[in-house]
Amino acid sequence: MKDQAANIAFSSGLSRRGFLKSCTLAAAALGLSEAMIPKLVAAAETAQRPTVIWLHFQECTGCTETLLRGSHPDIGRLILDIISLDYHETVMVPSGHQAEKSLHDSVAKNEGKFVLVVEGAIPTADNGIYCKIAGRTAMDILADVGPKAAAIIAMGTCASFGGIQAASPNPTGAKGVQDLISGVPIINLSGCPPNPVTFLGTVLHYLTFKRLPNTDQMGRPLFAYGRRIHDHCERRAHFDEGRFAEEFGDFGHRNGYCLYKVGCKGPETFSNCPAARFNDVDVWPVSVGHGCVGCTEPNFWDSMTPFYERLPQVSIPGTGIVTDADSAGKKILGVAAAGAAIHAAVGIGKSVIKKGTDKA
Amino acid sequence: MNYEKTKVWGILLRLYHWSLVLSIITLVTTGFYINAPWTNTTLEGSVSFPMASMRYWHFLAGYLFTAAILVRIFLFFFGNRQERIWDFLPVTPRNIKSLFTTLRYYSYVSDEHDERPGHNTMAGISYILTIVVAVFQLIAGFYLLYPESATWQGIGNTIFGSQQDGRFIHHLLMWYFIFFAFAHVYIVIWNELKSPEGLISSMVNGKKFKHKNV
Repeated sequence: MKDQAANIAFSSGLSRRGFLKSCTLAAAALGLSEAMIPKLVAAAETAQRPTVIWLHFQECTGCTETLLRGSHPDIGRLILDIISLDYHETVMVPSGHQAEKSLHDSVAKNEGKFVLVVEGAIPTADNGIYCKIAGRTAMDILADVGPKAAAIIAMGTCASFGGIQAASPNPTGAKGVQDLISGVPIINLSGCPPNPVTFLGTVLHYLTFKRLPNTDQMGRPLFAYGRRIHDHCERRAHFDEGRFAEEFGDFGHRNGYCLYKVGCKGPETFSNCPAARFNDVDVWPVSVGHGCVGCTEPNFWDSMTPFYERLPQVSIPGTGIVTDADSAGKKILGVAAAGAAIHAAVGIGKSVIKKGTDKA
Repeated sequence: MNYEKTKVWGILLRLYHWSLVLSIITLVTTGFYINAPWTNTTLEGSVSFPMASMRYWHFLAGYLFTAAILVRIFLFFFGNRQERIWDFLPVTPRNIKSLFTTLRYYSYVSDEHDERPGHNTMAGISYILTIVVAVFQLIAGFYLLYPESATWQGIGNTIFGSQQDGRFIHHLLMWYFIFFAFAHVYIVIWNELKSPEGLISSMVNGKKFKHKNV
């Protein structure tokens, strides 16, 4: 049998039905018409499997977990079957020197042809000593492997923008792939984790059209990050009609009202969560009563916290005061009003004195 | 003392001023609502869309605000003598002198009043600053209004970073306008009391009263 996805997939127990369902899911996620589904299927069936090297840096392996532990096993299996995964620290059999050898051999053999998936941020402070694999820093490995790839998929917010590692004060100098590699097409599948359908869609798009999908200004594919969560949210009607949960567990919350006032970041977050949903049981954070935390956006640990407030806090330099924008604004306005009152009082005082001296 | 009426502000500048007043009041009010809606309801199926309406009025006022700012920038270069930016930009000796005279006058150090038809330099600087802040404010506004547009994404992401940062800066700059409105109204009333040149009515009829010999 040739090294083609479908052969591998079916021999490993994936049913034809499951295979078609997954391709259809990916087509829907990509926003392709049903006329395109046979082309996706054909690409997944007949295209030579692209070699994929999957590098783990500063991460929690959650992005890998989201693929492997989907309750819909076909998606994970299909992803692992339509690609030829030569190096992936979590799922590969070799370890130690053998693992390093397979990375080295695969890069040498497929130079300029393989797809590189990066999971996790890359620490750059102090020459990158905060993340080392087999004695080499993450910076070294990426600088070695990255430029030899045909395309790079930054899997998750950490690989895209730095994620939690890059949160202020960013002690390890964590950065995303796009800040370190240039000259190779890079696509950012941000999210903590991104939806497995997004990854499947990107890979199938690459197989079918031989290029990465169109992206927004931050390098995220438009099919998954083209719209804000808020605009596809099932609670949107409650927002427009002014019905809000004031706190968790109150009447509004129990009745599924809008989570805007408990800090939902849906209005400023681009993702397909409300449409693609998770775990194949049609849930996502907002549907189960928790506001969006904005995990697909750059610097989200700094700009989206506090998670249960609308806006970040203001820290007044030199004072150590950290407060919300409105109470800071009101205080400063109060000081301005007091200043104006003193100014007016001085003016009145002066004119009273002047009148007194004029009389005298 | 002999006073004479002098024509100072053209019709376009006065329209700009009152459009800005109207739009800022509307924008701040609806903006506070959009940030932290102070109403809540359990009514369902009623014909009431408080958040959608507030956003509608906010966007409408935003366009009025934008138009007003564009008119002011036009008048900086093509307005009458008092309206042009060179009349109060602190780069000429006359304007630099005006800045210090005004500072002394406002802090009760001296009674010497820089009696000129247009803005004194101190007022001028604060108006230029306000226009600059307004430009950033309206860019942030359009960035938030059209988050999916590639053009606004390009501009907004470059200036602010992300939607959330844009929203935060939009909110902070709103407070600038609140401070500005407060300070502006206070200083205008103070001036009106100190020297009877018809400063407030000049923004309605365009005319000020100046000493004849000046």
